[in-house]
Amino acid sequence: MWDWNYAFEVLPDIASALWVTISATLVGFVLALVVGLIWTLMIRSNNKIISNVADGIVKFIRNTPLLVQLYFIFYVFPQFGLSLEPFTAGVIGLGLHYSTYLSEVYRSGIESVGPGQWEVATALNFDTRKTWTRIILPQAIPPVLPVIGNYFITMFKETPLLSAITLVEILQTAQNIGAGTFRYTEPLTIVGVLFLLLSYPASVALRQLEIRVTERY
Amino acid sequence: MSFWELIVSLLGQGLVITLLTTVLAAILALVLGFIGGLMRLSKNKFIRFIVAIYVEVFRGTSLLVQLFWIYFVLPMFGLTMSALTAAVLAIGLNYGAYTSEVVRSGIQSVDKGQTEASIALNFTRVQRMRRIIIPQAFILMLPNLGNQLIELFKSTSLVALITLTDLTYQANVLNATTLQTTQIFTALLVIYFVIAWPMTKGMKMLERKMTEGRM
Amino acid sequence: MSEPIVRYNNVTKYFDDLQVLDGIDFEIQPGEKVALIGPSGSGKTTFARLLMTLEEITDGTIEVEGDYLWHEQDDNGDLKPASTEHLRKVRSNIGMVFQHFHLFPHMTVLENVMEAPVTVQGRDKKEAKKAAEEMLDKVGLLDKADSYPAQLSGGQKQRVAIARALVMNPKVLIFDEPTSALDPELVGEVLDVIKDIADQGDTSMLLITHEMDFAKEVADRIAFFDGGKIIEDGPPSEILYNPKAPRLKEFLERFMNTQSSPE
Ligand SMILES: Nc1ncnc2c1ncn2[C@@H]1O[C@H](COP(=O)(O)OP(=O)(O)OP(=O)(O)O)[C@@H](O)[C@H]1O
Ligand SMILES: [Mg+2]
Repeated sequence: MWDWNYAFEVLPDIASALWVTISATLVGFVLALVVGLIWTLMIRSNNKIISNVADGIVKFIRNTPLLVQLYFIFYVFPQFGLSLEPFTAGVIGLGLHYSTYLSEVYRSGIESVGPGQWEVATALNFDTRKTWTRIILPQAIPPVLPVIGNYFITMFKETPLLSAITLVEILQTAQNIGAGTFRYTEPLTIVGVLFLLLSYPASVALRQLEIRVTERY
Repeated sequence: MSFWELIVSLLGQGLVITLLTTVLAAILALVLGFIGGLMRLSKNKFIRFIVAIYVEVFRGTSLLVQLFWIYFVLPMFGLTMSALTAAVLAIGLNYGAYTSEVVRSGIQSVDKGQTEASIALNFTRVQRMRRIIIPQAFILMLPNLGNQLIELFKSTSLVALITLTDLTYQANVLNATTLQTTQIFTALLVIYFVIAWPMTKGMKMLERKMTEGRM
Repeated sequence: MSEPIVRYNNVTKYFDDLQVLDGIDFEIQPGEKVALIGPSGSGKTTFARLLMTLEEITDGTIEVEGDYLWHEQDDNGDLKPASTEHLRKVRSNIGMVFQHFHLFPHMTVLENVMEAPVTVQGRDKKEAKKAAEEMLDKVGLLDKADSYPAQLSGGQKQRVAIARALVMNPKVLIFDEPTSALDPELVGEVLDVIKDIADQGDTSMLLITHEMDFAKEVADRIAFFDGGKIIEDGPPSEILYNPKAPRLKEFLERFMNTQSSPE
């Protein structure tokens, strides 16, 4: 049923593929953070066209599956001469998909800053840029940090989808091993355990952060 | 094939499986979520512990890993099942774990005064839950449950990876035979959007209808 | 003198290390209306919540119609903690009206009043509806039967809450500051309803209030709480106009001052 020798034999290969998984998460997350903020600012724009276009794109991305978006980036982009490595395509897909969720988080953070703060900024003669960077964002972001952290963990757990566009991350590594030996039990279980070992402590830490944040705000 | 023919062909071959998986998995998730959420509030430490394990394991590992595990590993232990069963089980168990947290926090957010009024009127614990607490908690849960339903619907695309012939699977097949890659995947995105978007709107409407004038 | 309907025997209550009730003995007679007054934090609410079984008793016993509320007697006559069934049986004699109403927001006014008779007492739906409508009529809100609580004023909500408690036919009805969450202009309508019930009914009442005039009018007896004890206890005329305990004198003086002080 369960072969410890085999498990230990395959563990190093799977564990080393963890780097691909983690770097995809990190790069995708940075992309999501930045693009998410761009969506939010576009949606808040006074220009109706900009705000409606951004709103439409965000809604479309949010209401379609990440897996299909990955296929689209990986298989359709080359039709227009843009061939991407699996890693690049995967990171763009992840980042773009989660940017729409982060945009929503930014929005709620910004809305939680009272109108008085905008008025004070005007009264003190801050320009738009300074108002955002010095007054609004420093108040809007800390309260939503736990939610942002949660999306980081969620993204981490979504990276196995990149195996569908042939990225050899940990799930694909386990599959490859399983296909070679016809033993899936150990490799797949190891993948699950690795995810649990990494994401559970992270979510416990986040809950601590959340408690501290709710105490402060 | 024209764009419209592609859409019709995809819908004809994959829509039923996608919707069937969605509905069955959503029912399983809701049932597990309510049972789990209520057990999480039990006075019995052991019961709470069991549910906590279930929730952390299914939230802590990836849905795709769970899907593969159920489809590829369980047969090694003599539990062979169809791709549809595996899909419904994996998605239902995964979303059930999240739903149980929604249910637990929904019940906990009902005003303590409601419990006190129920005690003063001599309700039993079960009567109080059924008639007073859960109906109110359910309304509080609706926004979250609605979001989860959309997420669950989108996640059914993963079942293509265990060869269940849903929309995504059929798109891949069609892509291999016709090579109309751009049109096929555009059509696929549009189909998912056209289903998910009214679902989002519908849940919002249901929410409004249930709170109207009452809360 | 008849058997008291409620009897507190040496009742003590702690919240962790904080003693809130200090060995209280107290009786309520059938049909008697008792008002509880006293400074904030003196233990009035806790005293009443023990009777409604919303807080657990730390020490001592409470009897309702001769039955222990928090305890049961085993075969040797020794006391042991009450089972859920026993608690429910004895509790069925008690009702309560809360400061913040606690109406069920997902039910109409009529459903609020009908719910417990049907679900808890197993009464016939038609009969319960009739009884509920009678009660709503009594509190002057029959025309609001199909409204939801959110559509009512505070005074109306509290009158519904009173109807909801009354329809269960409790032998003892507890009111914990029933008007202190209300806008001043809505206090009168609720007090009038309570007065009506007091005049008509043979229900015993335990009434926690800061409305001294009202206490004087409705209560047969006033008990003064201070520091987790009942310091003085007697007819309204004695308590309000001839107080003995220095603490009670002080309390009443401060009270009269704040009441009559010009705005
Ligand atoms: N659940 C609780 N946990 C801890 N302490 C409590 C709790 N409930 C009440 N207390 C404390 O018990 C004491 C008595 O409170 P209680 O509410 O019975 O007073 P009260 O006479 O009703 O006051 P008020 O006139 O302000 O309503 C207070 O010191 C209060 O802080
Ligand atoms: Mg009180």
